[in-house]
Amino acid sequence: LECTMDAFLCLTSAYFPKWRRGHQTYKRTLVLLDNLNIRDTHSIFFRSLADRGFDLSFKTADDPSLSLIKYGQFLYDHLIIFSPSVEDFGGNINVETITSFIDGGGNVLVAAGSDIGDPLRELGSECGIEFDEEKTAVIDHHHYDVSDPGEHTLIVADPENLLKAPTIVGNPSDKPILFKGVGMVADPDNPLVLDILTGSSTSYSYFPDRPISQYPHAVGKNTLLIAGLQARNNARVVFSGSLYFFSDAFFNSAVQKATPGSQRYAQTGNMELAEALSQWVFKEAGVLRVGAVTHHPVGESTPPAAYTITDLVEYSVVIEKLSKGSWVPFDGKDIQLEFVRIDPFVRTYLKKNGDKYSVQFKLPDVYGVFQFKVDYNRLGYTHLYSSTQVSVRPLQHTQYDRFIPSAFPYYASVFSMMGGLFVFSIVFLHMKEKEKSD
Amino acid sequence: MAQPRVFCLVLLTVALGAQALTPSHHLSLSDVDRLKGLLSQPFTDLASAYYSIVGLSKLGASVADENDACQFLKAQLDPMSVDSLFFAAEASQAIADCEVSIFNETRDILLAAVSEDSTVTQIFRAVSALSSLGLPLASQEVVAALVARIAKEDNVLAITTALQTATRLSQQAELGGILEEIEDLAARLDDLGGVYLQFEEGLEATALFVTAAYTLSDHADTEPPLKEDQVIQLVNSVFSKKSWDSRSEAFSVACAAAALSSNRFHVPVIVSTQGPATVSHSQPILHLLVTDILSNPLASANLLVESAQAVASKSVVLSQAPFSLRNGIFELNFMASQPASGYYQFTVAVTGDSRLVANQVELKVKVSTEVAVTNMDLSVVDKDQSIGTKTSRVDYPFKAKGSFTADSHQNFAMNFQLVDANTGVELTPHQTFVRFHNQKTGQEVVFVAEPDSKNLYKFELDTAERKSEFDSMSGTYVLHLIVGDATLENPILWNVADVVLKFLDEEAPAAIQSKTLYMPKPDIQHLFREPEKKPPTVVSNTFTALVLSPFLLLLILWFKLGANISNFSLSPSSVLFHVGHACMLGLMYVYWTHLNMFQTLKYLAIIGSLTFLAGNRMLAQKAVKRYGQSSTLTFFTRSTCEN
Repeated sequence: LECTMDAFLCLTSAYFPKWRRGHQTYKRTLVLLDNLNIRDTHSIFFRSLADRGFDLSFKTADDPSLSLIKYGQFLYDHLIIFSPSVEDFGGNINVETITSFIDGGGNVLVAAGSDIGDPLRELGSECGIEFDEEKTAVIDHHHYDVSDPGEHTLIVADPENLLKAPTIVGNPSDKPILFKGVGMVADPDNPLVLDILTGSSTSYSYFPDRPISQYPHAVGKNTLLIAGLQARNNARVVFSGSLYFFSDAFFNSAVQKATPGSQRYAQTGNMELAEALSQWVFKEAGVLRVGAVTHHPVGESTPPAAYTITDLVEYSVVIEKLSKGSWVPFDGKDIQLEFVRIDPFVRTYLKKNGDKYSVQFKLPDVYGVFQFKVDYNRLGYTHLYSSTQVSVRPLQHTQYDRFIPSAFPYYASVFSMMGGLFVFSIVFLHMKEKEKSD
Repeated sequence: MAQPRVFCLVLLTVALGAQALTPSHHLSLSDVDRLKGLLSQPFTDLASAYYSIVGLSKLGASVADENDACQFLKAQLDPMSVDSLFFAAEASQAIADCEVSIFNETRDILLAAVSEDSTVTQIFRAVSALSSLGLPLASQEVVAALVARIAKEDNVLAITTALQTATRLSQQAELGGILEEIEDLAARLDDLGGVYLQFEEGLEATALFVTAAYTLSDHADTEPPLKEDQVIQLVNSVFSKKSWDSRSEAFSVACAAAALSSNRFHVPVIVSTQGPATVSHSQPILHLLVTDILSNPLASANLLVESAQAVASKSVVLSQAPFSLRNGIFELNFMASQPASGYYQFTVAVTGDSRLVANQVELKVKVSTEVAVTNMDLSVVDKDQSIGTKTSRVDYPFKAKGSFTADSHQNFAMNFQLVDANTGVELTPHQTFVRFHNQKTGQEVVFVAEPDSKNLYKFELDTAERKSEFDSMSGTYVLHLIVGDATLENPILWNVADVVLKFLDEEAPAAIQSKTLYMPKPDIQHLFREPEKKPPTVVSNTFTALVLSPFLLLLILWFKLGANISNFSLSPSSVLFHVGHACMLGLMYVYWTHLNMFQTLKYLAIIGSLTFLAGNRMLAQKAVKRYGQSSTLTFFTRSTCEN
């Protein structure tokens, strides 16, 4: 019985990853909505997801049949929460299950609004993002749209305030972004939070209908309109303070700052930004993987059992990125290789060489167990890590330097003695003594 | 006497405000254009031609080339198919002077489709085609067939289709039973948060239901059993989607819009402001647009302000004031009643037509003004007050000459007033921030300036106390005053002065981790151990020479003494011994350069044993020779003596 169990386990573990790797299964997405009408008011965004192959299941956030995990398996790969005002998720979803979903590698896109409820605020604080209170809004009296209904909360965000990371926010464009919603601030102790879109220096977050009696939650450039997070397990989370940001109305709207003389743009940059964000958060962009790693002494083609100190070594690694569903060679200029024994002894840039990245370098004159380590962590990309262990041994006794000039007296004395012995032995043995002359 | 009446009115409007639901979505002019654009796309089959031609006609437009469209319909028509006949007949109705030719059997085919065995859709299409083609049909039979089918196909789409069929029947037929279905369907609508009312079958079903309900009610001349709130909720859910997935969806929205803007019972009103809902001294007139769902102006309407009250103080500023109509836009000079700046809640009534739905509209109107900064004084105050303060006055929008320096024993102070540029009244805007911006590091620190009881703003920066907010970074900070409010037309961002702040214990700025987390790390070159310094070769060469010199000395002395090898005899053993000896010494050199000890021992054993044997032999020969020579020597000695 044990044998069959083992065989079964082997079979399943061998079979499972292949099945999981199937294309469609990575795109199961649960969409939680305040009401199903949001599917209509945000149809362009959802259609672009559906066109890219995402399998969207729309549910209202208080649907009692909701569940993310069943029998220890995630039912979805991605989660979209477009239900700002939810006070309690339905079914067995709550902030805890969503955090464990993220811990398990799931990606989450959250859109909030001025009617933000407690669960989303809690989820935000779990991810290092502090939402402002309910009924507050980001206000900017200097950069609001001409069609603002009166409270200067329909904000025109400059594309300059976007994070400078094309993998996350798409290619730079000059189209302003319309935003109406709640502000956030990043937890200063969480280094993983990304300020994807910030307010301008004149923006702040407060109750639009109450005089300011205490210091606002977010002021100036600290006001986050859109924030992101890539956890250490590469799970990605994006928080938008505005659900309207993704709406058809904002996608198609013209935009112009109310300041006299501002330029009018026929369309907002919302659609491009939302698409780029969704590609990033759902791991269609900025995903890297390590391919074959090779290393050998220069002039040879296979690695030795152990390298000797100060060997000249060539290391090469294949790095690929995901582009439109297939893996293509990655083009990066700042990939570094470290040669590490507890601390790095050598850190050098890898050069692109065909499809591979490679470098030649001289091993340090220290022996021990080392690792070739590529630890590539860049904004917008998944964390790439590869380490290969090798041992480095000291010189053999025959490999030391001979014929040291300073030691010539010693060599000379030895050879002169040997020469002397030889000559002396001949002379001693074969000398004919002169006859005594007396 | 007037006081209680005003109070009652306020109560009334508050009560209305709580109840009144107004449409939050409609088709704006650009939405209508996009809808027309979607429907004007070239069609490929009869169904899409039907959706385009009829949909556009509902929006009051027509296809680009009617002749072409008519030819297309005629060419695509299959006279034996009910669907094809329906699409062609309906579409040709919407085109002027386009008549689809029919055969004699056409009527039979269509009539045959009207039976209890066909689906509701089939019946609908057949009946519509018949009536469009002007062919007679027995309405009562159709009603019977429909009622029988509805009992079988009890779903929203089928019943809606049945309602649509009924609109094509004679008014004399007994439509009562089918009319009741409207109420039943209305009960099946899902209420989403009190704002939307829709079928779970989707937007198309909801839109077609609205169309069918109103067309049938018009046809039968009975008011549809929908409450005002329900109509508004239906409007919200049908027109909230602004980007339509398909031609049929766009068609259904166009039909619903047409039905809601021209029927005999309910016409939802959209009251919107032209541009922002703002009046000011420079722009005193409030412009309102009163339109139907399709953004067509309702010319017959009258507009009346029932009341306008300030949001902050709840005082009524204006009541029962009519708007005047000019070029289709309703206008009211609100500034004539001299409102203070702020928000005003308007209750506006649209009258003039009994069909109007949502004709009590609440609007938030903003009275905006311009702000001016006056009496801006900047000073640096010593904490112990030992030195008199020097105050400098700065005028907007100029920057103070020179910079201010404040160290940890001083406070930087700023006093100013904000007044209404039009009336001179003091203002306390929502945003009155003081921003310090370090241009070198990009760091910005913002403080809130608060007014005192006299509305005089006093901002004081205690340099020592606030150092943590500046990360104790001394340097030049650009000082900005930011003033903004929703009711201010001219938000102020004023670069007031440069301030040099000096903090005592300046700490090195802590490297922010998130910045470096994604950066390449610095290169590391391994520092190889330096080879030990060797003495100069001159010394070693000298000593080499010195070490070799005894050997030379030996040779010279031997030469002087007359050393020789005359006794050497070329016997094999002595040659072999010396060659072997030389090889052994040579092996020592090879051992040093190439061999290891075991190899050396092996070779040494071979050479050594040979040399040993040869040496032994040689010495034996020498001994023999010597022995013989010694007797000769005696002889020689004797003879020499004798000589």
